[in-house]
Amino acid sequence: MSNVLRPYLAAVRSTLTAALTLENFSSQVVERHNKPEIEAGGSREVLLNPLVISRNENERVLIEPSVNSIRLSIKIKQADEIERILCHKFTRFMMQRAESFIVLRRKPVQGYDISFLITNTHSETMLKHKIVDFIIQFMEEVDKEISEMKLSLNARARIVAESYLTAFNA
Amino acid sequence: MDVNFRKIDIDVYDEDILHETELYDSDPRDPSQVLSDARQKQVAVRTALARSDIVGALSSILDSPPYGPGVDEAKDLTLQTLLTILNTTKAAEIPGVVKALSQDEQDTLMKYLYKGMAMPGWGDISGSVLLGWHEKLTEIAGTGCIVRVMTDRRLV
Amino acid sequence: MILLEAHNVIIHTTLHEKLVKPSSLDVQFVDFDGVRFRLSTPEKDKKNILLLSMHIRCWDELVKYGALNVLQREYGALLLPNSEPEYNVSLQLDLEQAPADQESREAFVMSLALFKRNALAAPFESAFQAQKRLEGGSQLGDLMAIHYRDEEAIYVQAGSDRVTVIFSTIFQDETDRIFGKVFLQEFVDARRQPSIQNAPQVLYSSRDPPLEIRHVPGLRNSEEIGYVTFVIFPRHFNNPAIAAATVSHIQSFRDYLHYHIKCSKAYMHSRMRHRVAEFQKVLNRAKTEQPTAERKTVTGRTVVSR
Repeated sequence: MSNVLRPYLAAVRSTLTAALTLENFSSQVVERHNKPEIEAGGSREVLLNPLVISRNENERVLIEPSVNSIRLSIKIKQADEIERILCHKFTRFMMQRAESFIVLRRKPVQGYDISFLITNTHSETMLKHKIVDFIIQFMEEVDKEISEMKLSLNARARIVAESYLTAFNA
Repeated sequence: MDVNFRKIDIDVYDEDILHETELYDSDPRDPSQVLSDARQKQVAVRTALARSDIVGALSSILDSPPYGPGVDEAKDLTLQTLLTILNTTKAAEIPGVVKALSQDEQDTLMKYLYKGMAMPGWGDISGSVLLGWHEKLTEIAGTGCIVRVMTDRRLV
Repeated sequence: MILLEAHNVIIHTTLHEKLVKPSSLDVQFVDFDGVRFRLSTPEKDKKNILLLSMHIRCWDELVKYGALNVLQREYGALLLPNSEPEYNVSLQLDLEQAPADQESREAFVMSLALFKRNALAAPFESAFQAQKRLEGGSQLGDLMAIHYRDEEAIYVQAGSDRVTVIFSTIFQDETDRIFGKVFLQEFVDARRQPSIQNAPQVLYSSRDPPLEIRHVPGLRNSEEIGYVTFVIFPRHFNNPAIAAATVSHIQSFRDYLHYHIKCSKAYMHSRMRHRVAEFQKVLNRAKTEQPTAERKTVTGRTVVSR
């Protein structure tokens, strides 16, 4: 499974490294303001072309770069109802703690499950390749975590059902 | 006097405003010319593939691609032709083929790879094929290629 | 602890304490399904006389299905003809008349702790008897409905070779519903295992009521309702000991299911919390150390930043 995952993550890593070339850029619209241009969305001048890296229809990563910030949105694979609910809970859990995660965005972009906002201040205070490592590791871990939670739920359900029904025999 | 003056969008009347089209040089050919060029290239590619000349096929399709507004049909046609080339190339041959392309052609190929990944399920787009090409292309052309794709306003 | 216990733990421990050392008390406490209890010493100077009262939502229905007979059988003289005000039924016990030896004492306390279980046993016992009467025929017994909770009910019906028990249960939010579906699917599938082949058959439907109760008026029709059907076969109640165990066990099904759903949600929560902490650690590795150099003035004194 991971030999299809590897090129996907490699593509995300190289695109992200290319996109993380950020520099300080004051707002062109309001004096003395410095906003992340991808969120403020002023003129087309400061926004670069958004790129999508996708493995199939259910898993994709959208990278929207701009001159001083990038927004990275991930759509996580959710095959059935259980995975959908687990993914939703997990991302909501993380987004409520966005403050401590620094680069996490409190609301995901429309059509995706979770979004990150990385600005030039982040890339100045943190090591860029480590930020990229964090994102890649996040993508791997989330998939793993959701499938583990689903397995443990199924195992628990089996034990619960078995204990209840064997008690009828005794 | 028009009472609704507050609702006027003043930026529309601003002379200094930057338009999308000013950011790049637009295609000198007109749309019908672009479309017929795309069709000719499709024929050329088919003959090149029949001869198993992958590099030739890629070079011809990646040379002066249709970009900008108004040429959607030509863009779709070019993308479809390119996909047939990518799908028929064997994985082992990819590095050799990519090395034979010029830098401009590599940039254009990267643009098409991203365009293809943005539309999963269109035509015969296969995510794994595109990702495989992306990996090899990045290895050879470097991250600079990706940066050029991000900044180039001429969207294929 | 996977299975829920049939007896009320508070009654059990309190009675054991009071048997050792009688004292005056007045406690009100609750049990599953909104059942309220009150254990008190009504007369101030007689500390050994205890009054145990119970309030159940569906008491009238239980009486209709023969609950008083069952309680009479279990508790005999302890059952009071009139209950305490605001409660449905009361027992009066004299601690001095409790059996002296350890084992019988334990049985006595346990039978009092099973007060709720015995009250709810009536419809099941009457269904078991009805099944024996209907044996060999093709008629179905009466459908008994017990509305033991707001909006949720148990339906019991005897057939010629089985007793069908249907639970209607409400799942408050979508997560509960999906977890419930996973659990109930396992209940349905568990029968394939050789060790549980003799267990009752379980069926589940998420919105449409099963055929047996379709005609019952007042059934809610919404996504939140689920119906679970247990088919109990004669081998589960052919001798009194097994029958009693079956009745105790099946009464607490709804609480058992919801308890385990809540436990899984709590487990998921703690896993997510752990994972988020791990991510936090990885992110912290990305932060660079800001060097806080000590700054000294010319004369050698250190600059202190408050």
